[in-house]
Amino acid sequence: MSVEINIPQFLQHYASGAKVAEVNGGNVGECLAGLVKKFPQLKPLLFDKSGRLHSYLDVFVNRQSAYPEELAKPVSDGDELHIINIIVGG
Amino acid sequence: MAANTGRLLRVNLSTGKVGTESVPEQVATDFVGGRGYGIRYLYEELKPDVDPLSEENKLLLLSGPLSGAGAVAVSRWMAVTKSPLTGAYARSVGGTDFGAWLRFAGYELIIIEGKADRPVYLHLTREGCTVESASEIWGKDTKVTQDWLTEKYGRNTRAVCIGPGGEKLVRYAAIVSGRRTAGRCGTGTVMGSKNLKAVAITATRHLQLFDEATFNELAKEQVKIVLANKGFQNHREWGTTRTQNVTNEIGVYPVQNFRYGQQVGYEEITGEEYRKLRTGKFGCYACPARCGMAHQVNSGTYKGAYSEGPEYETIWAFTGNTDSTSKEASIAADALCDDLGIDTISAGCSIGFAYELYEKGLLTRADCDGLELKYGNHEAMVALVKKIANREGIGNLLAEGVARAAKQIGKGAEAYAIHVKGLELPAYEPRGAKTQGFNYVTSNIGASHCFGYAAQDIFGAIEPRPSDRFAEEENADLVVYNQNDTAWHETGIICAFAGRWGWVDPLFGKLLVAARGIDGLEDKDHLHKAGERIFNLERAFNVREGFGRKDDTLPQRMLTEPLHTREAPGEGQIVRRQDKFLDNYYKLRGWSKQGVPTARKLKELGLDSVTSDMTAKRGK
Repeated sequence: MSVEINIPQFLQHYASGAKVAEVNGGNVGECLAGLVKKFPQLKPLLFDKSGRLHSYLDVFVNRQSAYPEELAKPVSDGDELHIINIIVGG
Repeated sequence: MAANTGRLLRVNLSTGKVGTESVPEQVATDFVGGRGYGIRYLYEELKPDVDPLSEENKLLLLSGPLSGAGAVAVSRWMAVTKSPLTGAYARSVGGTDFGAWLRFAGYELIIIEGKADRPVYLHLTREGCTVESASEIWGKDTKVTQDWLTEKYGRNTRAVCIGPGGEKLVRYAAIVSGRRTAGRCGTGTVMGSKNLKAVAITATRHLQLFDEATFNELAKEQVKIVLANKGFQNHREWGTTRTQNVTNEIGVYPVQNFRYGQQVGYEEITGEEYRKLRTGKFGCYACPARCGMAHQVNSGTYKGAYSEGPEYETIWAFTGNTDSTSKEASIAADALCDDLGIDTISAGCSIGFAYELYEKGLLTRADCDGLELKYGNHEAMVALVKKIANREGIGNLLAEGVARAAKQIGKGAEAYAIHVKGLELPAYEPRGAKTQGFNYVTSNIGASHCFGYAAQDIFGAIEPRPSDRFAEEENADLVVYNQNDTAWHETGIICAFAGRWGWVDPLFGKLLVAARGIDGLEDKDHLHKAGERIFNLERAFNVREGFGRKDDTLPQRMLTEPLHTREAPGEGQIVRRQDKFLDNYYKLRGWSKQGVPTARKLKELGLDSVTSDMTAKRGK
């Protein structure tokens, strides 16, 4: 499955300035692994030491949160992913 | 059964007269509640050009239409008045459970008028309201005051009160309930100017809803959605105590009076570091998040300091401004602000301003009562908090806020006064988060992060679209969206965090109908229009007071000096096209080039009666 990941501005610095990446994968986890393969600096920014998505990040598939399936959430050809920080403000 | 529009308690402190009124159904339909009720009554009842500290000013305390029942995160309370800090409209929001208690006493809002001839407090029950002498608690801090009221009236008592800061008319005094505050704009100063120490409510849980059975079903559905939301779970774990991790990484954590966007050594003040000092959690009525994180200092200079906080803004206020990385000092300063009743953001910003003036030689050690205001000196910072709240020495000057203090100091000090319309900036650097910065510019209360928070810039939010945080006039649509969205959410005084937990869109309107019994409130377009109506009426209030395009500006520093972000992206950013932004923003708002709502826009919003007030101002 080919999907488009929108790289948020707060991560673009670590992705050679790229705003979008085309990756292949059958679920969110595989897509993010494809993203990390392209931009290895992103790995610690996306995943904790046990390989889980950080608790303060959320991934949206076609503008819907992938939570609670999260990395296991299936994706289809042409889907659009967004990575956001959980919004907490101050 | 008649619509449940809410009851209003009106208290005149000059005459001692107390009365109740029902809110008319048309007002409930058009303004919904909360912030809508606040500006509707303030606009109608306050004459233009009133001195905010005179007895002619009015102070409104408001609860929301859903408050006190089983729904999550809708029981906060709000203070609305004319600000003594800015001279503009003021709205400030507080937590814990006073909002629910106001409903239990049978009211949705209180309008406080006049000025008592001696210190007093109000005591409300379902049977009525009495004006009582505050001679035993005047001069006491907010904790002692609330403890005294609980001792006197029993455990079913909740209160809002002021501390010494409000009594001494520090221009950014807060109203405090429990350990949470309505901090911004000096609403506590207005309370102090009226010789009103506290409003205490003794009541048991009792609430009348239009359709209680439906409301309770909807509330159960809301709880399910909230508990399954990742944002809720993260918030329950951290509150806002990790936001400085994000803002330092992206270079928007203001340091040394907004010269830098990242603090050296910020690894020492991350959420994880604060967590090591966490001793407990606390929260608001009927909210399972309990996002308030209590911290205690166990050793060193501040040993024994305990605070139900600090949250993000206060962590920043007492680290970034003075370039200190002492968590312990920030906890001590936060506790003092809550005890003494002053706003942490304006206090921290005023102190950061003083530190820069000291560095530049515009304030000397003698001017500062012997304190050495060198960056990193957190002991001087904590000392200044006390001086400000008590208006002692240099504190008397800083208690005026940075805009007034700069004018008094002269010698070019105004270049270092970081404010919009007199309200000190919060913890997001406008040059690195320009949508957020332009929200400060056009917010109706001055530089508030909570008036249209640009989550797109800070967290990468994608609704209604992602932002480029360095873009300027291109993001005018996002500023309008964020401000209107906040305004209609605040008709229910929905917690700003909980509003992002996935329940508002499907349920808020339905809950309103069940609570009020007014058909049409469930309609999303109606609510969005109400938000726009509220925002425009607030703007009209400010226009009537003489505010306009000339006041819609960031501080000169953001327009002329490049931002330095150290290791973070955004180095060299500057705001270059504020004028173009304003042109776009006013056009989207349907305002004149001078930022005055047009007759056409006012008619569209059903605010025709305001048009004549604007006519004299339009185009000037």
